[in-house]
Amino acid sequence: MFELQAPLIARREVASGMWVLSFSAPEVAATARAGQFVNLLLRPGPLLRRPFSVYRATSGVVEVLLKPVGAGTAGLAALALGESVSLLGPLGSGFQLDQAAGSVALVSGGLGVAPMPLAARAAAALGLQVHWVHGARTAAELCSEWEGRRVHWATDDGSIGYHGSVLAAIPEGIGQVVACGPNRMLAALAARFPRAQVAIETYMGCGTGVCLGCAVPRTSGVYDRACKEGPVYQANDIRWDVLPQHLHYGLGA
Amino acid sequence: MSGLRVGGVELRSPVLAASGTFGYGTEVPLCDRPRLGGMVSKGIFLQPRPGTPPPRIVETPSGMLNAIGLQGPGVEALIRDYCPLWAEWDFPVLVNINGESVDEYAELAARLDGVPGVSGLEINISCPNVREGGMFFGKDPAQAAAVTAAVRRSTRLPVWVKLTPAVSDLAEVARACESAGADALCAINTLVGMSFDLGTGRPRLAFGTGGLSGPAIRPIAVHLAHQAAQSVAIPVIGIGGIGGAEDALEFLYAGCQAVQIGTATFIDPNAIGKTMEALEALDWRRLVEGTRAAISSG
Repeated sequence: MFELQAPLIARREVASGMWVLSFSAPEVAATARAGQFVNLLLRPGPLLRRPFSVYRATSGVVEVLLKPVGAGTAGLAALALGESVSLLGPLGSGFQLDQAAGSVALVSGGLGVAPMPLAARAAAALGLQVHWVHGARTAAELCSEWEGRRVHWATDDGSIGYHGSVLAAIPEGIGQVVACGPNRMLAALAARFPRAQVAIETYMGCGTGVCLGCAVPRTSGVYDRACKEGPVYQANDIRWDVLPQHLHYGLGA
Repeated sequence: MSGLRVGGVELRSPVLAASGTFGYGTEVPLCDRPRLGGMVSKGIFLQPRPGTPPPRIVETPSGMLNAIGLQGPGVEALIRDYCPLWAEWDFPVLVNINGESVDEYAELAARLDGVPGVSGLEINISCPNVREGGMFFGKDPAQAAAVTAAVRRSTRLPVWVKLTPAVSDLAEVARACESAGADALCAINTLVGMSFDLGTGRPRLAFGTGGLSGPAIRPIAVHLAHQAAQSVAIPVIGIGGIGGAEDALEFLYAGCQAVQIGTATFIDPNAIGKTMEALEALDWRRLVEGTRAAISSG
């Protein structure tokens, strides 16, 4: 775990209102694994850090994906090039990719695409056949970047790809499913792929395991920490009826 | 750097980690430990507790609400898994103890008495996030005194009492705890707050209410810590929204002997180290003693 002053070195829009921010953070870039996250602190800005999956981590640069929804994300999206944030990470557990599975579907809804580029590279490095399965409400909201040759898109309005849920776009006969997206989508995915690896979304306080704010209800009856034991879980380990499905982000500073 | 004895505990510096914000001391690798005065471990009950359902935290203007519900493994697991580690550490660890009855507090105190690694107890009669016990005992001077006296009788360890701001007269509760044998008072725990989700019209915390912490509560905490320090002869440890050396100095000027840092650790894992480093650079002892002398002679 490192805490770095990380300058913003690039920014690009990858879907309508969805941005990739690139921060120079060599120690974190060198150690981050697929499914892990970083916790960003903006000053001046809201009190708490904001957690983001690592989108890409190459040659000293850590990339995160964000959509301005509240004061924290809006402030980050408005950063000028050269301005720095405090970047804490890498945090959390990563995806456990199964080499024996032969193939993997990386299933994402909307912003849930965030951990998938790193997952795709890790999967390819293991020799897995990678299926990129990504859905959004409309074509404009679909992430314009992907990894690999096997790409399956889905949109709620049918403006591109499969017309309907991204879950229906998952090809048959896949060895392993890895997913990230709204908790509602993941709950539905869990019913069909109970052994899928899912990266879940929660409110988070510290990101380092001390505040116990990011409690995840497990089927074993205990709560554990999304920031430490998570944010990646096996889908059938989570009590989806207790995990909040609606996260409200419109926070004041 | 030592020679600072507060409420029966030999502190390494005047800046401690507050209960519930430093886990069991094993979770914050980036903290500059040589500057840590001591820590108060996450609140413990006799039995394991699962804690409250999520959402458990919500950010508010200059603060946060939490309703964790004192999730923890219970005292036996604490003694088995953490106390042996603490016994090896070079800073004191106090255990924050909780109960649903006076007897439970006393039993916990007795169980922790003489356990290597435990340097003191902090009685939590101020947690707003449990249905039974907690803040109930801290709101009433007679109940606060009853818990303090029962714990005092059950242990030879130093006993600190963490006070709730949810009282009409903090001085009365402070004096009651002092008379019942407390070695020090910690002021303050969180304030009860609430926030509603504009999308659903329901409370944003699953528990409904939560404890407000962070810079938002600092002026209230400084006032109540000052009030406590004015009311008793035993030391007061200041808590509430401290994020750096200047904030800590306010509590020291208010009459506190030491401070605890809480929410700031969530934001910066080395908040305690940085605060203590800045206090050293300011030569805090001379600053505080000089100011106190000037005030008493003026």
